[in-house]
Amino acid sequence: MSATPLCNSWEHRISRRRWFGAAGTAAGLCCVPTALFQTALSEELRAQEKQAILIWLDGGMSQLESWDPKPNTEFGGPFRAIPTSVPGVHVSELLPKTSQQMHHLALLRSVSTRDNSHSAGVARINRGDPKDRGVVYPYLGSAVAKLLGPTQSGLPPYVWIKPGGGGFKASDAGFLGAKYGALALGDGKPPQNLLLPAEISPEENDLRLELRAKFNQRYAAGRRRAWTDADSHVFDIAQTLMQRLDLFDESTVNESDRCRYGTHELGRHLLLARRMLEAGVRFVKVNSYHWDSHGDNFNASDSLVRQFDQPFAALIEDLHQRSMLDHVLVIVMSEFGRTPKINSHVGRDHWPEAWSICMAGAGLRRGVVVGRTNDLGTFVEDQPHDIGHLFHTWFRALGLNDEAMTYDNGGQPLPVANEDCGPIAELLA
Amino acid sequence: MSNDELRSRFTPKPTGMTFDYHRQLWQARFSPAGDYIIAPAYDATVQRWKVTGTEFTMLAPYLGHHGWVQCVAFTPDNHRVLTADSWGQLCCWPLSDDVINPEWSNNEAHDGWIRALAISPDGTLAATAGNDCCIRIWTLIDGKLRTELKQPHKIFSLAFHPIEPMILAGDLRGVIRQWDLMSNSEVRQFDASALYQFHNIQECGGVRHIAVRSDGAQLVCGGQKTPQGGFAQGLPCALVFDWANGGLIQEMQVGTLDDGFAYDACFHPQGFVMACSCAFPGKGHVWFWQPGQDSAFYSSNEIPNGRSLSLHPDGRQLALMVSLSANGNGRVLEDGKYVGGSAKVHILELS
Repeated sequence: MSATPLCNSWEHRISRRRWFGAAGTAAGLCCVPTALFQTALSEELRAQEKQAILIWLDGGMSQLESWDPKPNTEFGGPFRAIPTSVPGVHVSELLPKTSQQMHHLALLRSVSTRDNSHSAGVARINRGDPKDRGVVYPYLGSAVAKLLGPTQSGLPPYVWIKPGGGGFKASDAGFLGAKYGALALGDGKPPQNLLLPAEISPEENDLRLELRAKFNQRYAAGRRRAWTDADSHVFDIAQTLMQRLDLFDESTVNESDRCRYGTHELGRHLLLARRMLEAGVRFVKVNSYHWDSHGDNFNASDSLVRQFDQPFAALIEDLHQRSMLDHVLVIVMSEFGRTPKINSHVGRDHWPEAWSICMAGAGLRRGVVVGRTNDLGTFVEDQPHDIGHLFHTWFRALGLNDEAMTYDNGGQPLPVANEDCGPIAELLA
Repeated sequence: MSNDELRSRFTPKPTGMTFDYHRQLWQARFSPAGDYIIAPAYDATVQRWKVTGTEFTMLAPYLGHHGWVQCVAFTPDNHRVLTADSWGQLCCWPLSDDVINPEWSNNEAHDGWIRALAISPDGTLAATAGNDCCIRIWTLIDGKLRTELKQPHKIFSLAFHPIEPMILAGDLRGVIRQWDLMSNSEVRQFDASALYQFHNIQECGGVRHIAVRSDGAQLVCGGQKTPQGGFAQGLPCALVFDWANGGLIQEMQVGTLDDGFAYDACFHPQGFVMACSCAFPGKGHVWFWQPGQDSAFYSSNEIPNGRSLSLHPDGRQLALMVSLSANGNGRVLEDGKYVGGSAKVHILELS
């Protein structure tokens, strides 16, 4: 971007992107053998580094058909509740596999947030609902990328696995600057043009990189450093990823894993997420869309929640078996829950008043349920918890001092989470 | 008859008779003798009204179910009524004013949600089906399992053929399978795939209801044309098939693209189809359509959100049960209370 906001030098940006694509392709010839990288990142090293995965069920998963069933009550719907691996804790029958991982999970059933619209809710929940200071706060993934940086793997700190298109998504970063945006893998595919064409030799590629560096210097002159840094950062990310092309190689996926996670979209994406975490990505976000079941909610939940249940249970099982739950924080959430009331179209609408978030892993207690809703599931009983409380909790779980740390926004210190809230002690280990 | 003739003879007129239930209902059905209306409910109860002429007197409900009671069916002799719920329980009740204990009950009739229930024309067998993809045939008098038939997908609807020893089962994927009950084998399939769609990441729609004409010559099924997830809005649709050759006779689409599912459809003794649909407030038509005609001879949403239609055996009264449950995001309170949906039964007159 130009130093003057009025100058939209699109031709520069486009040609630069194209250049990056070509240069990135060329850099692939430097590819280091996969096995070397896999062994370089020892279990011991990874255990010291906290990571996180956020599974975002966009549109709003029904808490009553998942984490907080109220069977045989006015708003309970048709489904049964089933026991879990934690005595006394029940979840919806649509989560049969996850129910057997409950001893690894922490449920918060007292989530009460502010927005009942997608447009406001998605951003506010993802940003932790900070106090309004006239700045755009980062999404959780960007915040963690900033506060913890990349792991020693050098892989991009914030990877977003999503349906649809990919690319570098700077908007998540807010005031932190584009550098802390998300590298989005559209449909789990690697960025375009990641591979170096076979006809380019390593020597030729070195020449290209030199030329790129010169162009970079000239381009950066007179421009904001944050933006030129971000551009370079994206290129560096591409180079790092080129060294881990095995992550995208379907032939390296274990057939048993494919079966356990499922071949549907969310199954494939959660399996890739596990591989990304194993490789050392600091923060992985996995989006699943179309959970907004205003109509025919119960058939929708029967279809959707089961698609979540299978790969999520497999993910938790795998993280546990690999001893990764000790350092990987797992979060499952939406922008809100769904209304207890069942409308005439047999659907549930938006309900921020009382819903649930599922968590697991780093820094959290296991096999616990915190908070509760009333018998009908309409409102939270006792202490409600907003997303601000959860951001404090998650930062604390990741080993960050949520109350003392601040962002530096061009000299302006900003708290990392809403200072009117604090961590939820009952969730923390 | 032409549409004009049908319209002049069979346009339903509100009688002003209505009765309410404070929770939502799935159906409201006249018994074969027309002396009861039985209504399975969202609150695990089965509501009952005694019908005496134009009087509808609420009776004590049948209790003991769980989750949703979605299905009800009567024996042709008017002696018994069967109900089934979403937790897999099947109950057989004597049809009387006072007895509210089941003759028999099986709380493990299915693993989970029973979506469909039917009784054979001779009243000796009951059939159930649901999310466990099984059809189970029961001896009605004692509730003993006679046969189990497995299908690949969730089953939403069932109907016995009135003459041949066959049963039809409509599934999520829009397939209606015909089973021979003598050999317990699948005979053929009817293609109702117009009522199914894999949309985004969701399996949508399905054959929500089946009914067979009393002479066995046609069957009708209800659902939504190319259904979608999310708001699940779309065109209510009923498909009429020819029994002899299995072919589609008519695709009956009524309403607009922002409507819902045709939850109920049946044949009037005159041969036309009566159906209703239900969706968001103000949506949902009642329509009457003679197969072979290009359009419905009656279609109205003056009383919207019909969930079920039931014709009294005298052919003059039609019970239209509607859902009253507005949609809306966030905290909506009435007098400080969070209120759920309810149901109303309208009695319409057919001339």
